[in-house]
Amino acid sequence: MQRKPILRLLLPILVMASMWSACNKSDFDQLDLADHNAEFAFPLFNTTLGLDDLLFKVLNDTLSGDTLFINPDNTMTLYYTGDVAEKPASDIFQTFPSGPAPIPDTLYQYPFNSPDGVTIRDALFKTGMINLVIFNNTGQNLTGTFTVEQIKKNGQKLTIPLNVPNNPVFPYSSPIFDLTGWRAESENNELTFRYELYTPDGVRVKIPEVSPGISGVLVVFQNLTLSYLEGYWGYSSYPLTRDTIEIDINQTDLDGGITIVNPKVTMLIANSWGFPTRGYIKYLSFIGQNGEEIPLITSAFNNDSTIDFNYPHYPNEIGQTKYTEVTLDENNSNIASIFNSQPTRLIYEVEGISNAEHDPTVIGFLTDTSSIKLGVRVELLLEGTAKNFGAEQEMDLNFGEYSDLDTSKIQSVEFKLVTENSTPISADMQIVFLNEAGQAVDSLFTDGAKVIMQSAPITNGVASGTTREENFIQMSATRFDRIRQTKKAVLKTSFTTAQGGTVPVKLLATNKAIVKMGIKVKTRY
Amino acid sequence: MKIKYISALLVLLAAAKVNAQQEMMLNSLQNLWHSNTSTNPAFFPENKHFVIGLPAYSIDAAHSGDLTYKDIFRKDGDRTIVDFDNAISKLDPENDLNFDQRLETVSFGFRSPNNKWGFQLGHAIAFSGALTYPKALPELLWNGNASYIGQTVEIGLQADIADWHEWSVGVMRQFGPLNVGVRAKYLTGISALRTDDDRHSMSIYTDPDIYQLTLKTDYAFYSSSIISAIDTADLGFDITLDALGNKLRSKNNGIAFDLGGVLKVGERLTLDASVINLGGLIKWKNDPRYFQSKAEYTYSGSTIPGEDILNGSDSLDFDTKLDTLNDIFRFSQTATDAMETRAPMRIYVGGTFELTKHWSVGLTVFHQKKDRDSNTAVGASVRWLPLKWLSLGAMYGVNNRSAANLGFHVAFTPGPVQVYFLSDNLLNAFALKSSPAANLRAGLALAF
Repeated sequence: MQRKPILRLLLPILVMASMWSACNKSDFDQLDLADHNAEFAFPLFNTTLGLDDLLFKVLNDTLSGDTLFINPDNTMTLYYTGDVAEKPASDIFQTFPSGPAPIPDTLYQYPFNSPDGVTIRDALFKTGMINLVIFNNTGQNLTGTFTVEQIKKNGQKLTIPLNVPNNPVFPYSSPIFDLTGWRAESENNELTFRYELYTPDGVRVKIPEVSPGISGVLVVFQNLTLSYLEGYWGYSSYPLTRDTIEIDINQTDLDGGITIVNPKVTMLIANSWGFPTRGYIKYLSFIGQNGEEIPLITSAFNNDSTIDFNYPHYPNEIGQTKYTEVTLDENNSNIASIFNSQPTRLIYEVEGISNAEHDPTVIGFLTDTSSIKLGVRVELLLEGTAKNFGAEQEMDLNFGEYSDLDTSKIQSVEFKLVTENSTPISADMQIVFLNEAGQAVDSLFTDGAKVIMQSAPITNGVASGTTREENFIQMSATRFDRIRQTKKAVLKTSFTTAQGGTVPVKLLATNKAIVKMGIKVKTRY
Repeated sequence: MKIKYISALLVLLAAAKVNAQQEMMLNSLQNLWHSNTSTNPAFFPENKHFVIGLPAYSIDAAHSGDLTYKDIFRKDGDRTIVDFDNAISKLDPENDLNFDQRLETVSFGFRSPNNKWGFQLGHAIAFSGALTYPKALPELLWNGNASYIGQTVEIGLQADIADWHEWSVGVMRQFGPLNVGVRAKYLTGISALRTDDDRHSMSIYTDPDIYQLTLKTDYAFYSSSIISAIDTADLGFDITLDALGNKLRSKNNGIAFDLGGVLKVGERLTLDASVINLGGLIKWKNDPRYFQSKAEYTYSGSTIPGEDILNGSDSLDFDTKLDTLNDIFRFSQTATDAMETRAPMRIYVGGTFELTKHWSVGLTVFHQKKDRDSNTAVGASVRWLPLKWLSLGAMYGVNNRSAANLGFHVAFTPGPVQVYFLSDNLLNAFALKSSPAANLRAGLALAF
């Protein structure tokens, strides 16, 4: 009985002691995570290849005249354009040079400049001034007029009144006469100058020479410009242009073959000269891959390799521009066969000939804005075939944060490569990873495998829809570790159009291919 | 990588460390002073007129499901291994963690010689919290997102956490067999964090295409004196905590009331009822902030210009910019004057019947109401007084979580000393590491 109270006392003590033992241990002094596997999935990259962007780049587009034109039906036409040659009217408008001209007699036929074979019968002054300089050493004051028979305005011929004081030392200068809006009309490229001077007694005099051979009367033209010129243009030839057009599409480093359906060369002339002009094609040849000359033979020109340019006719088409377009294609030339050999450039030379027919009745005109412009372009509608049209591109690589990962914690990785191809082109691809020395370390696909991006379904030569493909690339941690340290890679690609490159397809500006990649990383801890 | 494990660890560690406490056992021990300060202001130790309450500590916590400490931690020699595989398997799709902790620092009680009047003063520090988190959150952090490809995973957790000081003044009055008490409590908030009930969504979607990640947030929470800034500029969450402090006074004020009554019915039967923390509301004025994140961002990996690939003009850059991904959680903060928290309201109704001088039985009904949930428990107890200064007892309780709770108590009351240890769940108390819940209380008082 004595032990009973003791037991009663011990009971709570035991309870308290057991509670304490359950609570007093520190379990967190050495805390470690349990070994386990986890798997994380996240995207790596995505890229969209638009055919238009692709072509701009892949064609090594460095010439400013090259244009990729997207047609209304989204087909694309590649234009290679040469420099535009221009023959402006200013070449002709030097007919009335500024400066002094002597008048050796009271009536003088003044011959003005005109191009060979050209007879000016009407010229309209846009600007200009005229006055007379007279050395009066007659001993008397003189009065009178100066007239030009052919220069008129509103039916009045040009007349300048003269009051010439006697001054053997200093010449007399008449008031300046503004020629703006006055018109010169002549049938023989001459102007008739007449001066009449009288003494106070009414005696007409002729101004003597200042010295032998030097006239005492000068007419001075200043700042003469014409806005219109009309007359007869005789036969004359002159160089228009010589130029070279680079065909970049055949100058890339890409391998394989590409065939263009119906290539064209177009010559476009814009002519506002108002008289017949003929172009003479002195030289027109492509240059092949090996530098060989391949003449472009066509029936589009006259037999003597000339083209008659359209022109505005006198008198109803003054100020208009007439266009002449000559297209050389597979129907009228050998261009198709030339393009099968992938020429690299086109060289051409053209001369201009006025009144090539020597017609004496041709009356023509020029305005101050008249010109002949001539351009040549190579026009390639991007419809064709390609087979193993490929290249190798070396790129820098940057794995960013992946380069710093502790790969001892990585068990394996799995890349997921997805392609969504809406182009009519199939492509295969391989990536080879290089070390700093440029040596191949590994490749994305092993054992000769490649990722193949099949073309979109083709309907009537046009891609319709999208072909999606998924490729999974397993990779051990060791391989991943090796690859993520590389800084360069070579991307090997080749393109083949539908059905093995045998069926021509149209490349549309809307055609795109999406390539994207994700990764699953399995970790171990 | 470290951040995610720490986050997961914290969630589950918290779940394992806190236990469950209803304090029904304490309510059945009217003779202990702390039953006055904690469960019923009308209680007062019998035949005592002056009481000094010394520190008492209680904790009441539970995690939903069967998750226990041992499910997370296991020993390997001297090392403790954190293994979430087993723990995650025991989680429900949605998991709740509730915890209440109370530290009664000091209190005083006076009762008039004729027992008609009684007075009480006291101070305590209370902590109340509730967390709700989806199983997907630790699973995503521990196992990775690969198993969730093609699924939208909701990972937002909800929290309602606060701690505060209680300054109490109480009075009791005896009307014959009826003793009633009322206590007013002045609450001064220490810190609080509460997610916005209408905005607690964080989701992540892993696209089956190439695993593009879409993160979407509409998440907001209030914080006072806990978090002052969240920086998501780099990978991870750089959380700036307010300076830790536990000032007795603050601008976070509130009031609560405790009401109670004890009725002796005859010589052997005693009935009691009380409401604790009635109207308990703290308005947080000490730099309360409203943090919010509302964004949607899809990370598709690096975008590489296609022409660069073909042209070889630039590098193929796989840099992931994952910090950008993380940065979509960018939290903005604004000052707010709308931050309030409620102290959990508790209701006790009970009765004891004295069988003999040494044996008595009792019944207690308990109900607790928090903002987001409530729980109810019923306990039947038996008490044995083998010695005048020793009390032992047991209680069978049923609550929302379990119908198999066996509580106990042991109390020593030699002379003026009151020392006790009790729990509403005996098994939890002695096997904290293998139970998903715990309920403990221990305290000391001097009653003269």
